[in-house]
Amino acid sequence: MIGGVYAVISIGLTLVFGVMGIVNFAQAEFLMLGMFVAYYAWAWLGLDPLLAAPLAFVVVFLLGAAIQRVLIRRVLKAPEVAQIFLTVGLLIVLENAALLMFGSGFRSVSTPYQTSSLQLGPLFISVPYLAAFAMSVASGLALWLFLKSSWFGRAMRATAQDPMAARLMGIDADRMHMLAFALGVGLTAFGGAVILPYLTASPTVGTQFAVLMFTVVVLGGLGSVAGAVVGGLAVGIIQSLSALVFPIQLQNLVLFVVFIAVLAFRPKGMLGAAR
Amino acid sequence: MSGLSPRQWTGLALLAALAIALPFAFEPRGYGIRILCLALLFAAMAQAWNIVAGLANQISLGHAAFFGIGAYTSTLLLIHFGITPWLGMFAAAILGGAAALLISLPTMRLRGHYFALATLAFGEVMRVIGNSWGGLTGGPVGISVPFAQPSLALMQFRETRSSYWLMLAALVVVTLVFVAIKRSRLGYRLRAIKENADAAEVIGVDTTRTKIIAAVISGALTAALGTLYAQFQFFFDPDTVFGVASVSVRMAMIAIVGGIGTAAGPILGALFVIPLEEFANQVFSAQAAGLSQLVFGLLLILVILIEPRGFMAIGPRLQRLLRKGDRR
Repeated sequence: MIGGVYAVISIGLTLVFGVMGIVNFAQAEFLMLGMFVAYYAWAWLGLDPLLAAPLAFVVVFLLGAAIQRVLIRRVLKAPEVAQIFLTVGLLIVLENAALLMFGSGFRSVSTPYQTSSLQLGPLFISVPYLAAFAMSVASGLALWLFLKSSWFGRAMRATAQDPMAARLMGIDADRMHMLAFALGVGLTAFGGAVILPYLTASPTVGTQFAVLMFTVVVLGGLGSVAGAVVGGLAVGIIQSLSALVFPIQLQNLVLFVVFIAVLAFRPKGMLGAAR
Repeated sequence: MSGLSPRQWTGLALLAALAIALPFAFEPRGYGIRILCLALLFAAMAQAWNIVAGLANQISLGHAAFFGIGAYTSTLLLIHFGITPWLGMFAAAILGGAAALLISLPTMRLRGHYFALATLAFGEVMRVIGNSWGGLTGGPVGISVPFAQPSLALMQFRETRSSYWLMLAALVVVTLVFVAIKRSRLGYRLRAIKENADAAEVIGVDTTRTKIIAAVISGALTAALGTLYAQFQFFFDPDTVFGVASVSVRMAMIAIVGGIGTAAGPILGALFVIPLEEFANQVFSAQAAGLSQLVFGLLLILVILIEPRGFMAIGPRLQRLLRKGDRR
């Protein structure tokens, strides 16, 4: 169940890599921003985080477009070291800007359905988890439709495959990159908003998710959207299973080890060969 | 260091004399000299990072792993067995080298972003272990180096000046290792890998093995510097010595700001970044937490956008500009 949410927040990361060939180390910070947008929408407007998710998407989409235009665009052809450290710098800036703006406290929302759960036969399913999962599936489907059938989606995939050929076909690769980056971070922010009902927002929440997202994406194959879905579900299962065996503070350790192992033995991911 | 002209030798000797005499210009137990010590230490760390990242273009984001291993090794040996940090430093280097070997074996085939991701995860693994293996490391509360009568034998000094000379010596050693590697066959192989890994493989360079050798040297040196850090600060915790931003990224950033792949780059970078950071800390920390880190991140972005090859590239760039002006 958690896996579905992991898939959505990680699709953003894989989209950015797939289209532009850049690993965005700052991606998880946009999840944090999405959480804060949803939090303030709840605190000021009384909006439910699930309804605020599209708002979080739009706000971070615009921010992402601006960041792409001003910063990322300049290093697309630069050496890898520049790409890596530009996004690392972005990570530090976003995290600390959030610390300055929002303070270091932990914030959570209260919703009427927060503690309720549904009984499905012998299973109890917590409503916030279910809602987050449903929203994730919906947004994942929307993205899939968008990539599959809209002109923009096809143009974006063409740019990912071969920017030069795409340009010859009259596609503005620059605009596609901007769209992909904005869409990628927007989607991650959307995921941040839908998990707010059962998590707390803080400026450092991104770090908790960073390695998780990378594990999901690498497990499924960097750049592959379907891979992110498979990877997300797999990580959800790995986490639940490791929770049964290991104490809670070692849960992340299991993820790290899986992560390094996948990178070492199958860097193209589980679906890498199929693509 | 052959191949320098007599004029360059004189310059270098003058610089060395200046570096050795510098502490006398500062208050012996003041704040300024402590910053200088840290700058020298971080210069040495960035230089160690430079061996793998600068020469072979394998960008590590996990060097904090080796640094932390070094800090804990010597400190634990001192606490439990009373072993002097001078020996602890060598134990640290051996363990650091072994850790580098361990992580390099599966990951050195990876390039670019993938390698950066894998090393980042390795550093985080070490941080999690450091935090959760409380019986060994003292856990998140940190660990203190037992304070004894200041003595050279225990690497504890009454005057910060002595620490300064120790750091200076460390920087010189690491820089000499860097220069020696750069000029050796290993260095040529590493640069062949940097220029074009496939071509290097074709002409008979065992690229993976070459990179692993460099990584082990780099990891061992970083761990030894971790010991120096522990003896200088007397207190540390897993989040500090295994930290991504506090160690891994900072080492890399210093090398990049100064000039990645050059011997002078990390030194210039550290002398610029560390005092600037301390200054920002002093000015801003009273107002709001996070502001000085924000400056740190902005600086990193700016350097990448303006001149990703760092300070070392600015000189030649200016010369070229001037020459262009002459022609007109």
